[in-house]
Amino acid sequence: MGKRRSPGGGSRKERPVKSKPCVFCKEDIAYVDYKDYNVLRRFTSDRGKIRARRVTGLCPQHQREAAVAIKRAREMALLAYVAGQ
Amino acid sequence: MLIVIPELDEEQVGNTVSRFRTIIERTGGEAGEPDHWGRRKLAYEIDHRKDGFYAVMEFTAGERTLVELKRILRVSDDILRHMIVKLPPSYAHQPLPEPEPVEASA
Repeated sequence: MGKRRSPGGGSRKERPVKSKPCVFCKEDIAYVDYKDYNVLRRFTSDRGKIRARRVTGLCPQHQREAAVAIKRAREMALLAYVAGQ
Repeated sequence: MLIVIPELDEEQVGNTVSRFRTIIERTGGEAGEPDHWGRRKLAYEIDHRKDGFYAVMEFTAGERTLVELKRILRVSDDILRHMIVKLPPSYAHQPLPEPEPVEASA
């Protein structure tokens, strides 16, 4: 338990309930900075899209803040709007 | 945070940034020491330029600071892009000497 995905690729039906805390909560980060583009990159797909909460595992507050931060970083050309062209 | 055009050299970039620092101080704000990231590749082209000089500065704003700063940033030809962000009160990366209610980083 506590694992997000069962190792070895068990069947979909019996995947245990995820209970992984949000990474920002875990590190006690109050403000998601748009300047930390390397951190933010973990929450985007390789195409540059913002990943869904069920993929990132962030809590609602931090997912929202991360999304705003990613959009700010895009505006300042720290992250690409469309990656992999 | 602002992005200065790559055609300038380091010294001219420093002059440009300190120009904005003067504007902040003249209009009743307090400007911290600018953090120069140096020349950096842009994630995408802006005005057919592939890179630019990044500079980040934290400051507090007086009443007229933001209006004036935004106006001048917009008309400056050597500024590729700029962004002024209000920081939350809890943010204490580089604490300013006198934190005021209106706090922002450019």
